[in-house]
Formats: sequence, structure tokens, C-alpha cells
Amino acid sequence: MSSDFGKIALEEAEKKGASYADIRISEILNENLTVKNGEPETVSLSQEKGFGVRVIVNGAWGFAGSIDLNKEEIKKTVERAVSIAKASGLLKKKEAVLARDRPRKDKYATSFKKDPFKIALEQKLDTLVQAGRILKEQSQLIKASYTHYHGFRENKLFISNEGAEINQQITWCGGGLSAIAVKGGEMQTRSYPSPFRGDFSTSGYEFFESLALLDHAKEVGQELLKLFEAEKCPSSEMDLILYGDQLALQIHESCGHPTELDRALGTEADYAGTSFLTPEKLGKFRYGSEKVNIVADATVPKGLGTFGYDDEGTQAKKVYLIKEGTFVGYQSSRETVAELKLKESSGGMRADSPLALPIIRMTNINLLPGDWRAEEIVEDTRDGILITTNRSWSIDDRRINFQFGTEIGWRIKNGSRENMIKNPTYMGVTPQFWGSCDAISNDNWKMWGTPNCGKGVPGQVMYVGHGCGTARFRKVHAGLIK
Amino acid sequence: MVTERLKEIAERAVQFAMKQKVDQAQASAFLVDDALTRFANSQIHQNVAQKSGGAILKVILNKRISTIRVGTLEEEEIKKAVVEAVKIAKASSPSKEFKSLPEPEKWTPIKGAFDEETAYCEPKYRAEKVREAIETAHSKSPDVKAVAGYFSTGSMAYAVANSLGVSAWADMSITYMKTTVISKSGTSEGFGAAEKYSRRIKDIEPSLLAEDAAEKSVKSINPVKLNPGEYEVVLSPLAVATLLMFVGYVGFSANAYQDGQSFVKYNLNQQVFDSKLTVKDDARDFKTLYTVPVDGEGVPKKALELISNGFVSEKSICYNSFTAGKENKKSTGHAALPIGDYYGERSGPFNMIVKAGDATLDEAIAETKHGIFITTVHYVNPVEPTKVILTGLTRDGTFLIENGNISKPIVNMRFTDSMLSAFKDIPLISKQVEMVRRTTVPMMKLKKLRFVGISAY
Repeated sequence: MSSDFGKIALEEAEKKGASYADIRISEILNENLTVKNGEPETVSLSQEKGFGVRVIVNGAWGFAGSIDLNKEEIKKTVERAVSIAKASGLLKKKEAVLARDRPRKDKYATSFKKDPFKIALEQKLDTLVQAGRILKEQSQLIKASYTHYHGFRENKLFISNEGAEINQQITWCGGGLSAIAVKGGEMQTRSYPSPFRGDFSTSGYEFFESLALLDHAKEVGQELLKLFEAEKCPSSEMDLILYGDQLALQIHESCGHPTELDRALGTEADYAGTSFLTPEKLGKFRYGSEKVNIVADATVPKGLGTFGYDDEGTQAKKVYLIKEGTFVGYQSSRETVAELKLKESSGGMRADSPLALPIIRMTNINLLPGDWRAEEIVEDTRDGILITTNRSWSIDDRRINFQFGTEIGWRIKNGSRENMIKNPTYMGVTPQFWGSCDAISNDNWKMWGTPNCGKGVPGQVMYVGHGCGTARFRKVHAGLIK
Repeated sequence: MVTERLKEIAERAVQFAMKQKVDQAQASAFLVDDALTRFANSQIHQNVAQKSGGAILKVILNKRISTIRVGTLEEEEIKKAVVEAVKIAKASSPSKEFKSLPEPEKWTPIKGAFDEETAYCEPKYRAEKVREAIETAHSKSPDVKAVAGYFSTGSMAYAVANSLGVSAWADMSITYMKTTVISKSGTSEGFGAAEKYSRRIKDIEPSLLAEDAAEKSVKSINPVKLNPGEYEVVLSPLAVATLLMFVGYVGFSANAYQDGQSFVKYNLNQQVFDSKLTVKDDARDFKTLYTVPVDGEGVPKKALELISNGFVSEKSICYNSFTAGKENKKSTGHAALPIGDYYGERSGPFNMIVKAGDATLDEAIAETKHGIFITTVHYVNPVEPTKVILTGLTRDGTFLIENGNISKPIVNMRFTDSMLSAFKDIPLISKQVEMVRRTTVPMMKLKKLRFVGISAY
């Protein structure tokens, strides 16, 4: 990707009075395949390219982006960004200040063995069609089976007038399967390996192959049918064991979002909301039990939120958010850490398109392994439920009160997994919930990929990762559906 | 004109695709030029503009369908994408349920949906209006601590053509503003919000929004806790809009209907909701925000009665050409618009308009002995689609109604309830309706809504 256009933008911005300017020029490829009932429903490739210019003029921000990558349009877009910054300045209460960050010149690419964009479409579709058919064939009660594949690649160049020049390539892929069955007006759904189109990783096609959809299709279909005979989730306070993607989503919603510093500083107050983890709590607040250690780690291999540099040129890093239960860190940007006079950005600024403004986004928010084996947690539980595979989620605008529902669960009695339960739901209050966490596994820890985290106005959708195993929470209010 | 350019791009792309010897081809070209000024802590903190556009190309070869979306309007790039789409179609497997792209139908453009002043609004104008909102909110009370929100202006246009002769287009301007006010007294905070949507910038009155949001915010300081349970509720139009959008999304899409996920499937020709509830989907009605004459396949948008005096039927279902073909029906003109891909290829209502009633908000409050006034709901999601069980929280000002008066603010509450049950008994609907995103809705009083928990503020 040539830096010539970028340099034109920076020179133009400085000429027009920008004290700071950066430009991202990027091209994004998305390959989306959906097979319904064994027949292709969506075979889609999207290609997006363009650039976005960020400037500070007289201490205020402006941003503009365009799809037309030519000299004339770059100049026009810079002019638009500068005029927007000048308008921002009309209401300025304080100067936009960026914390220091060494400008880097580097190249980075996520690793893969098999380039997902070089694998023949026929090969991908063959897997999806076969898996979809196996799933659908399990019963006439199955009204729809879906199999998915998604491949993503972004090539981007970041240049700033501070001297940064970073070329990056991010590649990820993955997929999954799901089915919907209806019996007497009751609808059930079952997914593998996780809901909402599957699981994803900054890896090559080998990751999609490792999901082995063909090997799991039959089992998923049969488990789905068993849900009709399953017991309803009991409504009471009980011990809750969260497995897999459900624990990942719990981390995402109740730790990932509230530790975003822009939320804590009130700049998302008009949409997603703020955070109960306000700055005066930093380093003091008891977020969870001593067992709970959560990090934001953009360096962990294969995480969906793994990269070399964020979209303001800060190198990927690992920072503690929760250490032995105490709230110790934020996900941040150069501007937000300057405001709190913190040492450095956590490297969390990303945009979902070259035309979008980078905002603080999760990288990989990981619950570090504990000292239990997953099976030991079950064996140690007298009366509880083990649940997995998210079906519904909701949390308040400060990230305190949440309710989740999953596709499936099992009663745990006297240390053994007993009857299957359907439509499990639970509700909690974030610090109490994490405060009740008394067991975290270390033998089934893995990275989960969430490709659809929404935030910001205008809305942006970002891909993020969560590493976790299995965890137990004591005395949780479960069974909320009448 | 932008639409002329887009029409030409779409038609040329179809002609080029047909030269590649495909059976059918469809192309849409779109351009979105918008800007948004966002503010928080009573100053502008994000101020952006973007010019995005592109083309969506669909080719069909022996029932093999492929779609390519390119973020450019350059002819050569689009031609390359067509060639790629043909390659992909050849490599794909047939979709047996595909019947045909839509045949052309008579359509007429909508005049007056595009307002130049809104489309080409300057950042300075938005900044001045944001200043007006911030200053108004702060002037309402010394307890007002911070004002946040956004103000967006811009335009969108698209054109669709296919090899059967469809050639249609739409354009419109769009603007919206939200103001959120945070107040503080002692250690307690209060919140309030107000929103306005229009195609004309002149309709946006920042000071009115700021006054409304500030009043709710100041009044919601020092909330008390109310026990979970079933309560009568008065829902503001903002709250009605969010709940109704979910009812529309899970209920009236042909995709959901055909998969057995829609409640309509199990309640055909039955009175599911209160007889006062009548909802139509009509993109040509100027009361709706997204006033467009054709859908993303160039099919004229047809007005559908989604809920008729509480009844739902087969006529409530919104089809695109693919889902219609599966049932040997004709598309109702509800294919997703080519300007965004949030809902992918799912068909659905985009212009829901609730029939007004004859009440006012004051009457609804006055006729409530013990209930809750909900100004906004937050993070609503479906728990069980066939019963339309939704969960979510109240936000930005929730108030207890006692003996016909708003008596005190209450701590935000979580509801988890079936909308089939919640909208079954609607004692009052307001005569005034408001345009809120994809809906046009009144205030409603519901006989009961089930709350399962409370938040901490």
C-alpha cells in the first residue's frame, strides 16, 4: 500500500493549520457464505476501500473519510476534516491532548498457515452444504439449518505527522452451524461451536477446518431435539457454572465494556452508556473475588482482537484490568489517558472501516486460568446448573444489572451432571456476581471470537476476542421466564 | 443528479453482467453522504463526515446465486466485480428455492423527500445548534452537570436495475438529533433524553429537545427502589418504538415466518393484541422517516397492514423476491435497502406506523392509580421469539405514578415479558404520534408489564 497519498494528506492538513494529523488508508475484504437447509443462501464477497483523516486544529478534533482514493479527493477530504475541527472548536472547553507514544515504522501481519482467500469457494461450500444437510436430516421438526463461513482481511496503512508509518494485514476466519426446531409452537435452537454464526480467530483456513462442522452436525441436531423433552430451568438462587462462549460473553458485557475509558469519562453517555467503574475507583474497587484476573491482551496468538498496532499507531500490549479481584486498569486511547494523566494508552483504538473514526474497542479481554480442572468444578457443586451457548443478552447502561439466556444447560446435583434443562436464564449485579466467583478452570481455556461488538455513533461493529475456560458463581438468581 | 448517475451505473453493470452469459443479473448503486457532530460533557468530542458508496451486484447462473458488494462507484472496478461474481456463481451450488429476480412493476418516485439544506448542512450550523442544546439544558437547572448527544445531517440515494427490466431509484435527506442530560444533586445522579428524527433540518429544534431531556433528568435525581413485579405502565413514544421494532423484526419478516420463528405463524387470523392496536408498514406515507418508493430489489414498496385491530394474518408478512418465490407469491417490496447491510438479506418492515388513538400523556398519567412512566428502554433483546419475550431495562428517567400523578423517580428496572401479553391490553393510545427511527408511534398505556429486577441507579 503506497504511502504517497497519505503524505499528501498530512502535508495538506499541516498547511491548513493542523497541529496533529493522521490518515488510514485501507482495503477490507469480507467473504460471507451462508447455507440454509443444505443450499447456498448467501454467497457474498464485499470489498471496501477508502481513507479517513483525523486532525486536531486549534485544539479540537475533526474527521472525514471518503471512498475515492485520488489526489483531488484527498485534498477535499482534508479540507472537510479541518473545517469540521474548526466547528468543534466553537464549543471547546479544553484542548485535545494526546499522551506521548513513540511513532513507529513497522510492518505487521497476523499469521496463518492456509490463506482463507486462496481456498476454493467450492471447498468451503462443500463443507457447509454437507454439514447443513446432515443437520437438517435429523428430524422433520428441524425447520431450518444454517451453516456459515466468514473470512476477513484488512490491509491498512497508518501514517501520522508525528512520523509513524505502519502497514498491517489482519486476517481472520471461522464459522459454525445452527438449527431451529419447532414443536407445538415451542421453538428451540442449538448452535456449534457458538451462536451468531460461530467462532472466529486470527488464523488461516486451518481454523475453520479445525471446527470440524461435519463431525458435529449430527450431534447438534440430536441435542436440539432433546431440548423439547428437557426440564424448564428452575427458578431460584443456585450455583451457576458458565462454560465456553457464555462465559466469554459475560466477560465481554460485564468487564469488557465497563473498563472502556471513554465510557467511564462519559463520552458514550448518549448511546451505549457510561460505566460504574468511574476513575476514582481505579486501583481500589473490589470488582470480583481474589480468583478473578482479567486482562486486555492484543498480543495473544490467534485471538480475534489480536493485532500489531491500534488505529492511532500504539503498539499492541497486554494490560491488567482486574488483578486478584481489584479494578486496576482501563482500556484506553492516547487522548483518554492524557485526560486522567495515566502513563500510556492501552492501545485500544480501532475503527471498523477506513471511513470511520477510531474509538476505544476491546482487544482480547481474557479471564486468566484458575487452579481447577473444569470437571472438578462440576464434581464440587452440590446444587446448581451448568449452562452454555448464548441465546439472549441485556445489560444496563452502566453495566451493572445484566440478564443472559442460553440455549442449553444441565442440572448439577451432588457433583454430577444430571438432567438437561431448556431456556436457562440468569440475572445478576456485576460486582456481586464476580465477587461470588470461586472456581476458574485451567484445563479448557481457549480463545473465543466475537465478530459483532457494536458501539459508537455512527454505529461501528468490531471483532474482539475473549479467552476463558469454565467458572463457577455462587448463589445466582436463575430461571426468569415464566 | 446523483440518482441519474447511480441509475446509469446500475444499468451498465447489469448490461455488462448479461454479456458474461448469466441467466439474470441485478445491480444496485448507492451513495451516502453524512456528517455527525457528537457531544459529551457539554462539548463536541467527535465530529465526523463520511462519503460512502458502492455497488451490490447479484448474478444468477443455473440457479447459482452470488453477490458482490464493492465500496466504489468506478465503472472498471464494478466490471471487475461482475466478472468475480460470475466466477463465484459458477463455483457455487444451485439454490433450488430460487424462482426469479423480480419483474418490473409500475412505480412512481417520491417528491419532496430530499431537502438540500439538510443534505448539505455545514459543520458550523451543527455546532451552533449543539451549542443551543447545551446552553438550554444548563439554563434549566444548576443541577444539570453534563449534556451529551449527537446531531446528524446528510443524504442517501440508491438505484436498482435488473436484467428483467427493473430500473428504479430513491433519494432522501435525513437528520436526527439526540440530547442526553445528566444532572447531579449530592451523590445522586439523574438522567433524561430526547430524540427527534426528520428529513428536514428545520424540524430539529435543539432547545426543545434540551428542555425535555433536562426536565426528565433533574426530576429523576434521588430515585427510590420499587420491588419487581407486574405494573401498569405508560410508555413514551421512544419506548414504544423500541419494543415495536423488535415485534416487527421477529414477527413480520418472511424469513422468520418461514423458519417458524414468527409468532404470526402460530396466531394466524387471531386477535393477538388489543383491538385498539393497528399497525401498518407504508414507505410512501410521509409520516414515516425512510420515505422511499422502492426496496433494495427495485420492487415498489407496498403498504401492508401488519396488525389490524389486534389481528395478525398472512397479509402481515413482509417478503422480498426470494422469500416470496418460496411460497409462489409476489414480493411485497420489503427487501433490505442497499444502503446498509445490518439486516443482510432479511426482509422486514422498515416503515411501521401505529394508528393514533384519542388520548394524551396527561390523561394516561391521570388514569393510572399505581404504575410506572417509562421514558426510554435500553438494551432490549429477544429471549424467545415465538412468544416475543423481550428483556431490557428502563433508562433516562423512570417515574412512579401514584393516584394519577407522577410522584417520584424510581431506580431503573429490568423487564422480561412477552410482548403478546404486554400489548394485549392497551387502555390508552395517544392521538399524537412521533417519528422515531423506523417507526411512527404514539404514547401507550399498557395494563401490565412484568419486571424481574432492578438496577443500582
